[in-house]
Amino acid sequence: MKQFKDPFEAAFEEQEESPPQSPAAPPDDPDPSAAAAAAAGHGDGEGDDDDDLLLDVPSTSAAPELLRRRRRGGPAPASGAAKNNREEEEEEEDENMEVELGKLAPGGDPAKMGKMQAILSRFTEEQMNRYESFRRSGFQKATMKRLLCSITGSQKISMPMTIVMSGIAKMFVGEIVETARIVMSERKESGPIRPCHIREAYRRLKLEGKVPKRTVPRLFR
Amino acid sequence: MNASSSGKARGSSSSQPSESSSKRKRGIFQKELQHMMYGFGDDPNPLPETVALVEDIVVEYVTDFAHKAQDIGSKRGKLSVEDFLYLVRKDAPKLNRCKELLSMQEELKQARKAFDVDEEKLAASLD
Repeated sequence: MKQFKDPFEAAFEEQEESPPQSPAAPPDDPDPSAAAAAAAGHGDGEGDDDDDLLLDVPSTSAAPELLRRRRRGGPAPASGAAKNNREEEEEEEDENMEVELGKLAPGGDPAKMGKMQAILSRFTEEQMNRYESFRRSGFQKATMKRLLCSITGSQKISMPMTIVMSGIAKMFVGEIVETARIVMSERKESGPIRPCHIREAYRRLKLEGKVPKRTVPRLFR
Repeated sequence: MNASSSGKARGSSSSQPSESSSKRKRGIFQKELQHMMYGFGDDPNPLPETVALVEDIVVEYVTDFAHKAQDIGSKRGKLSVEDFLYLVRKDAPKLNRCKELLSMQEELKQARKAFDVDEEKLAASLD
């Protein structure tokens, strides 16, 4: 995970790249490339396009949205007045942010999305940070693929396999961390999670059967 | 479980020898795990030993999972996504998440195809 870019921030930065005061020709060029960069920026290049699967639902719908909005803003810089451009860009920014916020919510039906939006709007900043970390974090596909190749010994690990495995592993990490937090609250401790909590959480998960058991006993640990 | 103190030279981490190097470097998931653990409820800066332990656990989990999938897959020929889905069939949240991920990947593929077509049209209209 290279940079920790908020989709809102990414959209904001891309917009700042296209200069509002420059003459007609250059704005048209950076605009489609900025738009393309924004759409690709959501995935940050070929290999990471699917990273968004683990993170934001909006990539599919928001990327074309951003494209359309940026294109409408394309002719505007050519019209001249810097102030107008600034305002238009800011308006579009806000629209972008609302679009992102709306589409960030999971679930296809409007009821769920409505609930999600209501919850999200009430988040404190710390909660928003944590939620952003939760949505955007994920295992690197290349690393996971390399690991899977070395485990199975076969070279052909398809992309869906890597994606599914990353998703399952992420949920497993979630189970461990949440169980560790439960252990901590039982012991009435606070602060960062310590290895002893993790070990206790792991032991409990094993008892619940959520950890695949080794059929062959582990040697030479 | 003294795995976290065994350092870099871990030796063969599975009962079956792999062709590639048998040493596993530390911290292959370290950066992502830090963000992930914060997202799931840990401190913004988790302790390094905690991250190392969770990484060990995750690698062991993935290893066991992949081995089990391979056992199942070997009956049908080669390893496929279906084997993974079969292994999580009992765990409803994981199964739903996997299905969601797979369907989103399909959507992304379609969207990217459509996007390429749009880009070409735009480039053509600008000329």
